[in-house]
Amino acid sequence: MNLTTGRRIRLSIIMLLLALATTSCVGTRMGVSWPSVGLVELNGQEHISLSYNDQVAILSPANGVPARLINPESGNPIRDSENNPRSWVLSGAAYENAQFYALPIRLDAETLLAADHNKRLLKVDSVVAEVQRAIPVADQVVANILEVGDVIYVPYQNGGLRATSKIDFSELWTFPTSGGIWARPLLVDDMIVVPSMNHQLYAIDRASGVQLWSADLGGSVASTPLLANGRLYVGSFNKSFFEISLDGRILSKYDTQNWVWGTPAIDEIGIIYVADLSGYVHALDTRNALAERWSVQVAERGIQAGPLFYDQRVIVSSRDGKVYWLDSRDGELINAREIEGAPELLGNLLLLEPSETLNIDEPLIIVSSVDPGKLLIAFGVDGRQTWVYPR
Amino acid sequence: MWDIILNPFVTILTWLYALLNQDIVLAIVVLTVIIRFLTYPLLAKQQESSRKMQQIQPQLKKLQEKYKNDKEKLSQAQMKLYRENKVNPVGGCFPLVIQFPILIGLYQAIFFALAATPFQLIDLSERLLIPGLDALIPLQRMWSPIPGLTQFLPEMDLTLPPTANPSYALVLPLLVLVTTWAQSKLTMATTKGKSEQKDDDDDDDSGSGVGGQAQAMTKSMTTIMPIMFGAFSLSFSVGLSIYFVTSNLIGIVQYSPQGRQLLDRVFRKKQTDDVIVDVELEDDQPAKKPRRSRKKKPRKK
Repeated sequence: MNLTTGRRIRLSIIMLLLALATTSCVGTRMGVSWPSVGLVELNGQEHISLSYNDQVAILSPANGVPARLINPESGNPIRDSENNPRSWVLSGAAYENAQFYALPIRLDAETLLAADHNKRLLKVDSVVAEVQRAIPVADQVVANILEVGDVIYVPYQNGGLRATSKIDFSELWTFPTSGGIWARPLLVDDMIVVPSMNHQLYAIDRASGVQLWSADLGGSVASTPLLANGRLYVGSFNKSFFEISLDGRILSKYDTQNWVWGTPAIDEIGIIYVADLSGYVHALDTRNALAERWSVQVAERGIQAGPLFYDQRVIVSSRDGKVYWLDSRDGELINAREIEGAPELLGNLLLLEPSETLNIDEPLIIVSSVDPGKLLIAFGVDGRQTWVYPR
Repeated sequence: MWDIILNPFVTILTWLYALLNQDIVLAIVVLTVIIRFLTYPLLAKQQESSRKMQQIQPQLKKLQEKYKNDKEKLSQAQMKLYRENKVNPVGGCFPLVIQFPILIGLYQAIFFALAATPFQLIDLSERLLIPGLDALIPLQRMWSPIPGLTQFLPEMDLTLPPTANPSYALVLPLLVLVTTWAQSKLTMATTKGKSEQKDDDDDDDSGSGVGGQAQAMTKSMTTIMPIMFGAFSLSFSVGLSIYFVTSNLIGIVQYSPQGRQLLDRVFRKKQTDDVIVDVELEDDQPAKKPRRSRKKKPRKK
């Protein structure tokens, strides 16, 4: 085909535009949420549990490797059809493309309950890592389930909290919220405090599901409040952080630079550490109506996860792919570690300290990312990277 | 870099949402109308450039025939033809290049503003440029075409595809398909333009030659694009389908003769009488003035 120069240019531009259109379309996020990381008991030891996309995994805290399935009677490893030892990984693909964003909770010694984003609760045999039963629920779940005695409280992504019997999964009551619940509710005595995307913080009687009070925080509330000294501390998308009494009165308010998404951390003397989505960390005095001790921009991008406090250090992970260690006294940067490839660090941080049930030699900080090749990264408290869990 | 375009769109869309009684569909429609109206001069320029290119097709064909064995001379003669007729061969593309990011930006703004999951919503925190708009998040995403008749027409979730909404939402992909097709047809007719009526007898649609190839491509796009967008709309959110339909309807108005007349008047665009200049290279012919030929006016029926 004999093309003129003009036509060649035109065709090139059309190709360029098509490429631009394609990249523009795929540049937008299509996912649901980020990894959730917590602890779960398995074979008498505490392990790390991880939920992300189509997988729930239970990992050894010492090296980040999926735990081996053990036959409880013989004590021997459970093997697959090719005689390889099986690991504790539950794949959603095997169960009608289940998707997991909330952590599994333990129902009994041999059973876990995992919330599938496809409006189901999956009862999982934790010995063989297989689903036993699926219980339909009214909505999707992205936040962690609250467990109190024989009742579980299931927060719905698009609104509503369902109290469910842990024994037979029957519905006890459902408390409607016009906005979604994207963070685990908090138990305070007989009251459940529920953060909602409709700007309200609700308090509900845990037995009856009756509303006790609600507080309008001016913006969506996407984090679990922190309970300290008989008060609640929580941030909102209204670029504000609040101190709230247990009867629902806003006692103090502090203006942040951007939305607050994570649960704050508090030290032994009552200084609370809050991070926001402009990359700022704020140290506020809870003894003095949230008076600012210091406020520094730590990262160039937002900090979604709540900070950790450990040994006079404040530790935060940012969307810029870095983990930062700050001096809790003045916010001075002590250490910063960039994860290889600078993946967005979204999802909660987890602090592990050696104990009888947690088989580790030193304290570890677990950071989660949305990079499938580095879903979890473990650091020592000094900033040394100890292991990485890839999918 | 892309944020320079996207963030103002997200901000304006959210601001319009606040202004229009927290009706996101109305906000999408109004913003689409504003953007399409403001980018009309670019569209008109692109159409004008395409029309001029069509007008000189016969001359280009003659040159191709004449210099079929000498590519260098053909190239020189083509450049001269463009110069003499003040045609920029890529002039039609430049306004398109500017328009395209704007339209993609608008599309993405809707996607971000209607964020329904944590993963989508987290990006919105960096995009709202006016203080106070954060208090509106998340935007109301349930919508009914007739609010008083929700028992017959239940509310749609604008963040979900038509297949996950009440069955009447399936009419949207169909509307996207039909309006995209209508707009493509009108685009083709406009590009073909008045000038082509004169050359209809000469111009072959067989796909040979520059004009023929372009036309064949445009024709196939008229078929492929509506099907493609209709299919996309089945899996995209309903909010984006509303944007596609609105954008197409405005396009139909813009490409229709009455719409163009009105918009030309608004933007004070003058109608010009085109004169086509033939060219020949100097070493082929003794030097003489370029032969000017007045373009034939379309025959009145």
